Amino acid sequence: MGMGRVVAKRGVYAIMLIFIMTIINFFLFRIMPGDPVAMMVSPSITAEVRQILLTKFGLDKPMHIQFIKYIQQLLQGNFGLSFTYQRPVINLVLERVPNTVLLLLSSYVITVILSIILGLIAAWRRGGKLDISFTIFGLWMHSMPIFWLGGLLLLFFSVRLGLFPVIGVSTPWLKHENIFSYMADVAHHLFIPMMTLGIGNIGGMFLITRNSLLDIFSEDYIMTAKALGLSNRTILFHNVLRNAMLPLSTIILMRLGFIIGGAVTTETVFTWPGVGLLIYNAVMQEDYPLLQGAFLIITISAVLANFLAEVIYGYLDPRVRYE
Amino acid sequence: MPLLDIQNLRTYFSTRGGTVKAVDDVSLQIERGDALGLAGESGCGKTTTALTIMNLLPSNAEVLSGKVFLNDVDLLTIDEETLRKEVRMKQLSMVFQGAMNALNPVFRVGDQIRQGILTHEDITKEAAWERVRELFSLVGINPDRAREYPHEFSGGMKQRVIIAMALSCNPDLIIADEPVTALDVIIQAQILELMRDLREKLGLSMIMITHDLSVIADTCNKTAIMYAGKIVERASSITIFKKPKHPYTQGLIANFPSVSGELKGFEPISGSPPNLISPPNGCRFHPRCPYAMGVCSKEEPETVELERGHFVSCHLMK
Amino acid sequence: MRSIRKFGEQYKESKLGLLGLSIFLLFVFASAFAGVLAPYPIGPTQGDRNYILKPPSSKYLLGTDELGRDMLSMILYGGKVSLTIGILATLITAIIGTLVGVTAGYFGGKTEEILMRFTDVFLVIPGLPLMIVLASLLGATFWNMILVIGIQGWTGTARVLRAQVLSLKEKLFIESARSIGASDTRIIIKHIIPNVLPLIVAQMVLRIGSSILSASSLSFLGLGDPTHMSWGMTLHYAFSVGSLFSNFYWYLIPPGVCITLVVLSFTFIGYALDQIVNPRIRER
Repeated sequence: MGMGRVVAKRGVYAIMLIFIMTIINFFLFRIMPGDPVAMMVSPSITAEVRQILLTKFGLDKPMHIQFIKYIQQLLQGNFGLSFTYQRPVINLVLERVPNTVLLLLSSYVITVILSIILGLIAAWRRGGKLDISFTIFGLWMHSMPIFWLGGLLLLFFSVRLGLFPVIGVSTPWLKHENIFSYMADVAHHLFIPMMTLGIGNIGGMFLITRNSLLDIFSEDYIMTAKALGLSNRTILFHNVLRNAMLPLSTIILMRLGFIIGGAVTTETVFTWPGVGLLIYNAVMQEDYPLLQGAFLIITISAVLANFLAEVIYGYLDPRVRYE
Repeated sequence: MPLLDIQNLRTYFSTRGGTVKAVDDVSLQIERGDALGLAGESGCGKTTTALTIMNLLPSNAEVLSGKVFLNDVDLLTIDEETLRKEVRMKQLSMVFQGAMNALNPVFRVGDQIRQGILTHEDITKEAAWERVRELFSLVGINPDRAREYPHEFSGGMKQRVIIAMALSCNPDLIIADEPVTALDVIIQAQILELMRDLREKLGLSMIMITHDLSVIADTCNKTAIMYAGKIVERASSITIFKKPKHPYTQGLIANFPSVSGELKGFEPISGSPPNLISPPNGCRFHPRCPYAMGVCSKEEPETVELERGHFVSCHLMK
Repeated sequence: MRSIRKFGEQYKESKLGLLGLSIFLLFVFASAFAGVLAPYPIGPTQGDRNYILKPPSSKYLLGTDELGRDMLSMILYGGKVSLTIGILATLITAIIGTLVGVTAGYFGGKTEEILMRFTDVFLVIPGLPLMIVLASLLGATFWNMILVIGIQGWTGTARVLRAQVLSLKEKLFIESARSIGASDTRIIIKHIIPNVLPLIVAQMVLRIGSSILSASSLSFLGLGDPTHMSWGMTLHYAFSVGSLFSNFYWYLIPPGVCITLVVLSFTFIGYALDQIVNPRIRER
């Protein structure tokens, strides 16, 4: 079956990419201007301590030996030590990942659903009032800084109206009797950030969805469907949607990577304890080990997400399997 | 009472370059049992006429005036619901140009036809599927193939499927728009023979739109010649082929090769089809007409009935 | 020249395009004449200590910041910074994208493969995190920000240009130029570049908006240059003095509105251009 080939081919490619990312990551942080030791530890250290650390971390050895050591450490799961938190980077990141994933996935679901509905209506009533308003809305969302939208929503709904909490993923001092009240608390905190990212990311996806649907509408078989006497609703929801599944799946899977960037700024605005906020803190504190480790993990995740997307797409489109 | 009576139809398109007068005062009648060939060069308005009858025009098209009576009902004035449920498929259906893409690639062909049947007839899904199988036999396809997808059929077979689809609710009139143009000659002959047989068996009326006169000669008992959005001559096919009166028709027929006749060279009609945004004044054919007179560039010719059933639109007929 | 006029006529028909163009010109005008239009100076020591974080009044039309500076003036001067960063960064993106895309498309073979792999790598790396890392490593200055934004956005342009060059290669005039012995460089410069120029310009217009958004995100996160107060930097300070919780709406709203409007203007212009240049949309 072709699927095995697809997985193997994309898998090898993904591994190669990860390897390249690791190389880039390593050299990025070594080649940059600045004291390599200061990067590993706090910038404010004395000269003797610096020399000791230099030898300890092997920074006086040639570059390729350092690189091999780096790879060894990575394979052992050692992504470095954060000096602000005084804990291994890998632990810090893994703790935060669920929060980021929760935020990203829930908001993405909203983005996808809204984009498809709006795109469908806009394409069907092409040139009409709804199409124009939705398109302008989409272009507007595409142009607005998401973190600013988040700030405004936070200001209005949480600060002024007091309807939602302003910080974090759950209320720290609240004791929860059961899992449901905890989930409700999290959902309460999740709502505004999720809506921010969910609506803010509509722009691009809506426009692409609309274009794909317009392509489908202009196909001959849609005219056949009309000549068959099928009602508009049937044509739209039975025929067009089936035809759109393939291009829409492509769009949905491929755009997954773009939303990661928005997570960093949104988590900062809402003080949402995810990987994005971790990166922000790392930047503010000049905690380079944390920054390097977190960045590497993010890029590896992006490669893996891409790999997953390509495998799913290979499953959906039979033509890919027989390439 | 004619089955289809088109009176003074005008369909214009608004485009960036101006208003395209694609169908400009077209009148036609079809009696029950007729097969009318609608012939003309590409872009002369044949397909637009068909789409107007079917009410499938794109959004930038507008029917300015005219009436299209099918079974005494003006199709241009009835509401969407009636059109969809009563007229489409049950009275009127269409076989489209380029059937290659007319079938939806993600559905089985049988399902597509069945969906049309179920929209118009109150029968069970199984009964509808039986009808699909019968239709396949009728058009010469193995009924078991109804479960297959469009990409599994060849061009000729797909065309048969489309014909089966058009017949599925026993319509009175079928409009076939260039049904065999994209097929090779042998398949063409097969499909045309099929259409002839079906016409006889089912008593179908048909409009056959094509630029290929040989197709018309093969299947139609009446012919209408269209030029630049207007009908220039209309008569029985025999009359058109043997005694064409309009200069344009004469030009077309003159270039129609005869297997049994003598060898002769092509005498192409000089010039090229006019721009339909600003067509020539008076008779639209006058710039290319070898017999053009002064009045031809000033006044549009009236339609004259030379003999019973033979209509010509030319100043020479006075 | 005639095609430029035809293009102008087609562009005039697009309401969105004209709206976008007007907004853009408005901002350019405001930025260029900021020195004249701004009622107050905005140096860090030039604020009015008696009017810290005050809401809009007749004296300060858009209120003041934590240093007593006039918000309206900050906005006017900020426009210059934000627009400059956006345009210069996009220039870098366009140059890299063109180099990669045209070279890959024209020379094909191994060169194309390597360049496209290279592009793929850049595509997978999430944009903002990369910019954050580079900006924090290089240091947060005005020019570094331009560089950092410029070197990560070129992948789209590269791909589009490569596709265009591939289809141009098929065209006969390239064949004939080669057959009379024109060198590759000459062909590229004389034949390919002029034909892809409209596409490059369209791509640039599309990218300026995202460059400005990236710049504002980076500045908001604190990686901007404090000596060049862009709108993003203003928002950074707005958040850091707690405008969200203390409801300093005049500090939060104007910079964001400006960013949105400017990016929107480019989005509209880009949309109008796309309708004209993209043959697929036209045919429908």
